[in-house]
Amino acid sequence: MRIPYSLILIGRERGRYLPAILAVAFCAQLNILQWGVLLGTLSILSVPIDRSRADVWVASRDVLSLELGHPIPEAWESRLASQPGVEQTEPYLFSFGYWHKPSGGSEVCCVIGSHLGERSLGALADLTPQMRTRLTEPGAVVVDDSELDRLGIKGVGDAAEVYGHRVSVVGLVHGFKSVGGPYVFCSLRTARMILPLFQEKPHDTMYLLARCRDPAAAEELVESLRQYHDLSAFTSDEFSVRTRLYWLTQTNAGIGMGCTAGLALFVGLVVTSQTLYAATAASLREYAVLRALGIPRWRMAAMVLAQSFWVGIFGVALAMPVIFLLGACANFAGAHVLLPRWLFAAGNGLTMAMALLSGLAALRSLRLVEPITLLR
Amino acid sequence: MVSAKPTLEGRHLLRSFGTGETATEVLHDVSIDVYGGEVLLLMGPSGSGKSTLLAVLSGLLRPDSGEVIALGENLWQLSEKAQRQFRLRYCGFIFQGFNLFPSLTAREQLEMVLRWGEGASQREARRRVDEALERLGLRQRGDLCADQLSGGEKQRVAIARALLKDPAFCFADEPTSSLDWAHGEQVIQSLRDAARTRGATIFIVAHDARIVPYADRVCYLEDGRISQRSEVRDQRSEISKSLTSDL
Repeated sequence: MRIPYSLILIGRERGRYLPAILAVAFCAQLNILQWGVLLGTLSILSVPIDRSRADVWVASRDVLSLELGHPIPEAWESRLASQPGVEQTEPYLFSFGYWHKPSGGSEVCCVIGSHLGERSLGALADLTPQMRTRLTEPGAVVVDDSELDRLGIKGVGDAAEVYGHRVSVVGLVHGFKSVGGPYVFCSLRTARMILPLFQEKPHDTMYLLARCRDPAAAEELVESLRQYHDLSAFTSDEFSVRTRLYWLTQTNAGIGMGCTAGLALFVGLVVTSQTLYAATAASLREYAVLRALGIPRWRMAAMVLAQSFWVGIFGVALAMPVIFLLGACANFAGAHVLLPRWLFAAGNGLTMAMALLSGLAALRSLRLVEPITLLR
Repeated sequence: MVSAKPTLEGRHLLRSFGTGETATEVLHDVSIDVYGGEVLLLMGPSGSGKSTLLAVLSGLLRPDSGEVIALGENLWQLSEKAQRQFRLRYCGFIFQGFNLFPSLTAREQLEMVLRWGEGASQREARRRVDEALERLGLRQRGDLCADQLSGGEKQRVAIARALLKDPAFCFADEPTSSLDWAHGEQVIQSLRDAARTRGATIFIVAHDARIVPYADRVCYLEDGRISQRSEVRDQRSEISKSLTSDL
């Protein structure tokens, strides 16, 4: 198989093309990693939804995200239970609270109260039977092990106060770090005890969860529940995406990321196109001879574009292991970086488009190719 | 064998550079005929318009007036695309300097011309390039990059590139200027062989009077006018002597 001239030149003049390859690699890394960080951060926001066993979430009307629900009557559980195909229903309490540290100072936390049985829809699957038993004690809570510093405690057995009610930590879970206040998991009874909102409205709940006999029927159930205009109903996946999108759009994080991604692409575009321009400009006399010999200009243009393609391929190939390495380091350091396949496909596709665009921009150098210049 | 009719005719060629008061007329009503199988040497002092005449005759620079008839085609009445196709089919060029891609091997430089120009298959290009390298004694050096070749070898690759297509015309601008005479003589001999064996029309522009004995005809250009035309086939040594003293 014949190796294309574009690839031969890149291989033999590595020093000349290296800046462009590095620029493409930098661009791919920056884009994919920063979106990975954003996706990871957004996924944290919906962890309680994603890690529940519920197929359907029922909330107050027009709720925008998990944190922004309003109390609804717990009696509506009967509406849910009466729907065909529903296997199990239960209330789910969620509200912000003030965690008063033993050493002084306070921290906003998210209190989550649910049933504790092994088949509970809202309780964390990570809870051990021992934790479930201990959580039945009034004031018993479980927190994420990475949040101990924020909560001002050292571990299991330590106590603090939420709205003046003593709470004691009876267990630690892993992987439930939050973006806002640390999650405080407890029983429904404890949640009603410490949260003023539910003290005032003892017959209300924040959410109602349902599990279908056939999980595939969740969408049908949601459609059926939408006949009630005083509530919102979502499948778990819908509510998870809704929560993430709310934060992505309302916090302008998406715009910020978009700007940085645009900047990275611009830098990559400028460096790559200038490198290709300089490489072509350095061979103007050689190209001019080819023109004199009657070789059409499009052959040279195709060569420059092919070089931009190979520069893109090498840049992306160089970026991949670095992205995996940096992502692993970030996760090890406590950040939450998500790198799904579609993100690689989109990031690499965008980077390749940038590389080809830089090839197009570098084509202007070919306007300087004139055989007559060889005779002056 | 020199053709009976000229293969390349320049008629009343005028060409100037610049505009208004700064305009400089480089070619003044130049007419010239060149024949197939002939090596024509155009000599003259710097700035006399030699390279401009080569550019006009070869289809690289449009004259202000006059016409160029090449193989019966009025070159400057063809479209730009047709001119390019004419050059692709019939013209080879050797310019000052070697103008080779430094990172491509001699073989790759030549294959590129055939593959890009004629769309030759890899096998066909390889066969023809092997022949060309063999003819110029470069078979063993074909896989070296241009920047690994000596000056003489580079110029031979440049000649191979110009003659690869068996062109009807080969235009050479100072082909020996960057070579010692041993290598320069090889270059001129190669061009002369192309004229003799393939009937090519060889048009050489040069200062180097040592080339004169290898030319069939020498024209002398001064101030944009052909001032002397010499048939050197029979009186080669005499004219060479005279031109050398003129220069």
